[in-house]
Amino acid sequence: MEKDGWHREDMVEETNLIGYVVRGSLKDHLKVRLTVPSVDVQEGSFVVLESDQWLFYGLVTDLQLGATEDRFAEERNERRFSPDLAGMMHEKTLYTDLEVLPTLMLERGPDPGSAAYQDWLEGIESGNRDQPRPIPVKTVPPHHTRVRMASEGDIAEIFGKEKKGNFVIGETREGAHPVRIDLHKFIQRSSGIFGATGTGKSFLTRIMLAGLIQFDTASVLVFDMHNEYGFDDTASDTGERVIGLKTKFPSKVRVVGLGKGAQIRGQSPDFNLEIPMSAIQPTDIMLLQRELNLRETTPTTLDALLKSFGREGWFRAFRAMSVGQLVEDEDGRKIPALDSVAYWANENGVNVMAAEALHNKLRRVFNSPYIVEEPASDGIQEIVKMLEAGGHVVLSFGKHESDLDYLLVSNLLTRKIRERWEWRTNQFRSSGKEEPRPLVVVVEEAHKLLNPEMASQTTFSTIARELRKYYVTVLIIDQRPSQIYDEVMSQLGTRISGWLGDEDDIRAVLSGLAGRQVLRGMLSRLQPKEEVLLLGWGVPMPLPIRSRRYDETFWKALKEGGKEVSEQSPETSIEELGF
Amino acid sequence: MSEIYIGRMLRSGMSGFVVGCQVEKIDVPTFGSLVRAPVGDHAQVYGLVHDLHVDDDGLVRHLATAPEVEPSTIQDAQANRNIPVEISVLSVGYQKEGALRHVLPPRPPLSLDLIYMCSPSEILSFTSQGRFGYFRHILRQEDIPHAELLAAHIAQSHKVHQQQGDPLWAKKAVEELILLLQDDYQKLTSLLGAVQDTLGEGWLA
Repeated sequence: MEKDGWHREDMVEETNLIGYVVRGSLKDHLKVRLTVPSVDVQEGSFVVLESDQWLFYGLVTDLQLGATEDRFAEERNERRFSPDLAGMMHEKTLYTDLEVLPTLMLERGPDPGSAAYQDWLEGIESGNRDQPRPIPVKTVPPHHTRVRMASEGDIAEIFGKEKKGNFVIGETREGAHPVRIDLHKFIQRSSGIFGATGTGKSFLTRIMLAGLIQFDTASVLVFDMHNEYGFDDTASDTGERVIGLKTKFPSKVRVVGLGKGAQIRGQSPDFNLEIPMSAIQPTDIMLLQRELNLRETTPTTLDALLKSFGREGWFRAFRAMSVGQLVEDEDGRKIPALDSVAYWANENGVNVMAAEALHNKLRRVFNSPYIVEEPASDGIQEIVKMLEAGGHVVLSFGKHESDLDYLLVSNLLTRKIRERWEWRTNQFRSSGKEEPRPLVVVVEEAHKLLNPEMASQTTFSTIARELRKYYVTVLIIDQRPSQIYDEVMSQLGTRISGWLGDEDDIRAVLSGLAGRQVLRGMLSRLQPKEEVLLLGWGVPMPLPIRSRRYDETFWKALKEGGKEVSEQSPETSIEELGF
Repeated sequence: MSEIYIGRMLRSGMSGFVVGCQVEKIDVPTFGSLVRAPVGDHAQVYGLVHDLHVDDDGLVRHLATAPEVEPSTIQDAQANRNIPVEISVLSVGYQKEGALRHVLPPRPPLSLDLIYMCSPSEILSFTSQGRFGYFRHILRQEDIPHAELLAAHIAQSHKVHQQQGDPLWAKKAVEELILLLQDDYQKLTSLLGAVQDTLGEGWLA
């Protein structure tokens, strides 16, 4: 806020100005004539346009060289005139225009020196007028509006100040001002972290997860296909040690190993997960259709199995059957043995060939060592309890790194968890019982689970589509977003994307967002490993940033940030959920 | 005010006037000089010399083609001309009751009015007034050598400003001209060529 007697013009020192508005449109973009050397401004810079009554915030999307007449640009007059004289001429005849995508505007009231300003201030203080806050642009700043680079204060005004739940995810490329992300908003919808291989996705994921855990915003369940997140790891490119979440949050994070006796990075997990045969449902099998190359007859066969042996018994029974075993009947004819698939098929009117083929194809599942008749402990229940109690779980797949293991286990577990959270939410809504703990399910290589063929069958796409209705959201991590089902992509709230080279991937990340055209170029020109673009509903405006480094400095700053618990009344929560 | 007169008005119009000048005064006004002519009792019109014209007459033609002419005859014919040397002046400003403006006068000077050279202090106050508004009168003319005239004027005025402790005046003047001609490559580059040739090195330092 300005002080009395000050004038707007005094507020910005001339040295901070970078140009002035020359033309533009609300639908397209604004053109700003640059008054500083072109190299002082980069694509993606966050700029502020200061008109009398409003501040406009925008993003530089292009820089264009221009000349008052083409020949000034085409002829090399510095060879004809003295350098000083040529310099003077070029200063006036050659220029750079910025294309600025206006995104937000903030009311700043009348001139601070005027009486109207006092009225305006009093109106806000007395509550008769809304406190000014950034809103989407609805108009354009007038000609010659002064433009400057955003300051730390501007970034804080838009992306949040240093307070509870606001987590520094990186800094602006120019000025290195901290950019915060609202973790509370981040978990309200499913979100995604994207980027080509080697662009630092897993580091960024670790940073986000560390933030969620430190600030206790939500419980986190990580499906850690490559055993990266729990225990310390070694970076594939630099060979340096990468701290795992378990190391920094030993009491909050539990590492769960898949299968009996699993060792993760040479260490013993907190406990091992074994899946009882009774937990496996036909939907879990259908999900493996592509992986196991299942036939079209599979649903019919599964349906018959379900009818014969029940929801909890079909898998065990089918697994126990033999294939091709024949016995002689009283007449000496070869007939299927009693425990054979063919016998069961004949008895139940199922095509024998189809049933035997399914049995053969399911052999990989039957032989999975982590699927057992009677697990030593109810691992699934234990994970659910931990998450409900506010803990965090990293499920490491250990040596079971195949797609089959990943698809089967992650979907099965998520289905169980979501059912539980749905029940808890209904209890909370109807009987006022304890509010369910928000949960973020982290899925790596998400395209394996959320591709267009499978998306309709997985629990993940259901979660992504229903937003935060049942307090569960998904955090998708992927290098090929184009292979993820459109409907899921368009539902993602916050999207954080590193460099992407493929046109289809870029298009997928930007699906459903305004200003796709200009953001596309920005995404393809990000500095790999260092820069990411923040996008989507969860951030006030798109912004390319230099992501935070995942190192000791990060951990020190995070731990010093203190523990901040989200405090919210049940009424507010219900309202937010849309009930 | 300078009292050095260069001649008397021959003919005039709103955009400029022509002065008849005696031969002995021909070296006083030069191309690009700032001169002034009174308009009534309390007003002056300012102008820039853009042409000096030496016309012939019958005697000159005769002598030019005569086989042998005594040097004294030539000298006599040069000094005692029948028709005066004509100095063409472009009106660029107007002063009335002390107020100086880069606008055209309400009326032109009258015949046989005396025309004076401007003193350094007059040059200083005229060229420092406003923001080089008088350049528009020069650039508007189609039939005068803009580039050479402006370069000569800037060089002369630069000397005065430099002596008065403002070495940056010429730079500001050239900047203004660049701004005015930024859409006209031909005009601007020929102007800067003329400026560079006339002012030489070092004036921008």
